[in-house]
Amino acid sequence: MNELMAARSISTRPVVTLGGDAVAHVKDTVCDSDTSRITGFTLSGRGLLSGPLKEGLPWSAVWALGHDAVMIRDRRGLVSAAAMTAQQQTLRARVLGARVLTEAGDEVGTVLDVVVEGGTGGWVVGFRVAASRRFVPGRTRHRRRVYVPRGESLTVAGRSLVLPGAALRHVADDLPGFTALVGGGPGPWKGSLP
Amino acid sequence: MLFTEVRGLPVLAPTRAGPLGTVTSLAADAASGTVSHVRFRGGRLRGETVLPWDAVRSIGPGALRVESAYAVPGADPPCHDLLDRRVLTDAGTEHGTVLDVAFDTETGRLLAVLTTRGEVPVDRLLGLGDHALVVRAG
Repeated sequence: MNELMAARSISTRPVVTLGGDAVAHVKDTVCDSDTSRITGFTLSGRGLLSGPLKEGLPWSAVWALGHDAVMIRDRRGLVSAAAMTAQQQTLRARVLGARVLTEAGDEVGTVLDVVVEGGTGGWVVGFRVAASRRFVPGRTRHRRRVYVPRGESLTVAGRSLVLPGAALRHVADDLPGFTALVGGGPGPWKGSLP
Repeated sequence: MLFTEVRGLPVLAPTRAGPLGTVTSLAADAASGTVSHVRFRGGRLRGETVLPWDAVRSIGPGALRVESAYAVPGADPPCHDLLDRRVLTDAGTEHGTVLDVAFDTETGRLLAVLTTRGEVPVDRLLGLGDHALVVRAG
């Protein structure tokens, strides 16, 4: 299984061609309507003060999403950012801060971050959630952050994500634990949870 | 021979009595795996001169001999220094930095790239740019 990474950690990662040239930095991640896959990235310039670029990076042009860089074949893969975000919105605008509910209507918490799989797939495998008190009991001051697997069927209703109850039977406290939890293999969600 | 051994060698031309300068660096073409240019500096306040590898007659012992003192000033090709450059695999993970490069003084072919995280065979080099040397993940 490829390395799992938090989508917010991809921001500011350099976009590097196979020729070794850095062309931009990642500004934000764009995913499809049911939050199952990354569809691309918006970009910002390389300098400290350079703003967002008019070009975006579609997932089809990505060679590999790695720990230290997003590799692309060459500059020609970049497309207009406006065309890319016309249909989909960035993670920051859409998923972060969204409420997570179970099918039964119980509140799980709010999304802090999205966990994606690196490499060539770009699948969304889970969420980092600020757990609500009922979902993870404990003192309020030490409100727990848990990693929740995405599960096979996720419904997006406005600003809420509805997860099947079975996906919430097992959660993890940190990213290595979450990797062990979902370590089924690459690709779309495979198999049931242990 | 190693890139670090060539650095600092005097550059001698057949028509000149004294040296033209000292070698500051060698530039390489990662895709073809060869040394592409030699950069040398005539003095502390002089600018760098870039010579193509074809203009080099021989390297060593103790000097780098060139065919002629000719250099095309201003025509600076986009060549990047290999030493101390960051190494990235094509999977997007860092693989240390380049410590040294071994090359054949006759043909200019690169033989091996030594990085802080071990040796990288030359057939795995993909490209060398302003950000990193990209190698195929092994």
